[in-house]
Amino acid sequence: MRRVVLSLLLVACALGSAGAPDRAWAAPKKPVNQPEAPLVDVGEAEPPPPADFLEPVNRVTFAFNDGLDLLVVNPLVTVWTALLPSVVRTGVSNVFNNLDDVYVGVNHVLQGNGNRAALDFERLAVNTTVGLGGLFDVGAKMGIAKTDADFGQTLGVWGVPVGSYFVLPLIGPSTLRDAAGRTVRIATDPRTYLQPVPSYSLVGAEYVELRAEAKANEGLIAASSLDRYVFVRNLYLQRRALLVKAGQDAATGK
Amino acid sequence: MKPAFRTRRAILGVVMTAFVSVSLPAFVARAETTPPDELVKKLASEMTAAVRADPELQNPGSTKISDLVQKMVVPRFDFERITQIAMGRNWTKADPSQQKAIVTEFSRLLTRTYQNAIANLKDLDVNVKATKATTPNVDVTVKTEMLGRPQPVAIDYNLINGPNGWRVYDVSVQGISLVAAYRDEFTGLVSSSGVDGLIESLRKKNGS
Repeated sequence: MRRVVLSLLLVACALGSAGAPDRAWAAPKKPVNQPEAPLVDVGEAEPPPPADFLEPVNRVTFAFNDGLDLLVVNPLVTVWTALLPSVVRTGVSNVFNNLDDVYVGVNHVLQGNGNRAALDFERLAVNTTVGLGGLFDVGAKMGIAKTDADFGQTLGVWGVPVGSYFVLPLIGPSTLRDAAGRTVRIATDPRTYLQPVPSYSLVGAEYVELRAEAKANEGLIAASSLDRYVFVRNLYLQRRALLVKAGQDAATGK
Repeated sequence: MKPAFRTRRAILGVVMTAFVSVSLPAFVARAETTPPDELVKKLASEMTAAVRADPELQNPGSTKISDLVQKMVVPRFDFERITQIAMGRNWTKADPSQQKAIVTEFSRLLTRTYQNAIANLKDLDVNVKATKATTPNVDVTVKTEMLGRPQPVAIDYNLINGPNGWRVYDVSVQGISLVAAYRDEFTGLVSSSGVDGLIESLRKKNGS
């Protein structure tokens, strides 16, 4: 799940990068103000246009990320996938996932989802010990699959508004709220406090590995969209709204 | 009285016959339509089987793919409805000939996108999990998962029951609706360059 989402997001980011208020999607349906009845009953009210107050800047960042992806990241991905056997890549990806499980567990606690947090910490314990520091995902084999939770989502569950869609350089699609969440994540990531070389290498390795995994999906976005910026913004916002809704439902025991 | 009675019976007979001959085939046709979950299952299994059996279908440029998609996939999608939902309130801003053009170009775009993805089906399996009715017998969501990637991918099909049976009108991947994604694009294009601008963009994307 996380892989797919991350890969989607990375594709999105790689391709350059929205902010409808989550609440809008969950809001009660309002009748659309139409002069004539539509030929089909569309069934639901249209969501309001996405909040993207930063669109002019975002489009520039989106294009910058695109160029960087083409000129720098893609060549690195090619080298990465050519050099590393898939078993090594899986190991690398597992180690990063294991580190992420710390955050997933903490966020599930913050979101009031104690049951899921208990499972996350169980995964973390098993994978760190039996799984040799996260190299092997033993937890998944025991039936505890990796889940996804982050600080941006937690802020959403708490009711913090999404702000605006916001394309981050290098990282890609985000919102003001998610960018705040990401800042917390970066500030608490142990890799941030290493010497520059190991720090950048470790973050870079995760970045390139995620980008490599996203390769499978990128063609679809390029081939099917009329305005890729808008398409990617919509995918990102839909996905984030769903995650926040799922977090709220889990917290209220729905 | 008697002749009048007879005439009335004759008329009734004609009317009844007409009614039966019109409604019976309709009824039979309706009774034969595949239920939505089976339709999705059939669609997925036929396509994966076809791609596995024929290496030529694994090459996205092959004309065989478009033939296959035209025959097996296109009839099961309600492109008119898909387009109307993607257009939202702008649909009524388009005149009938523009509407027709949008439906034609958008279905071409979607069909082509689908064709390009078909080769991937050879390593994937689709498992139909559940059907959730929004309105029973009219509007349903068939939930499936795609297996063969490191993690299962949730794909949901929204289907509507029309005169030709069940037809797909939206597909969601991990909860992300494809039609909703296009709606933002369409809304943006119509507000910046009008309905004709949207048609122009679609044509350009389709290479015509």
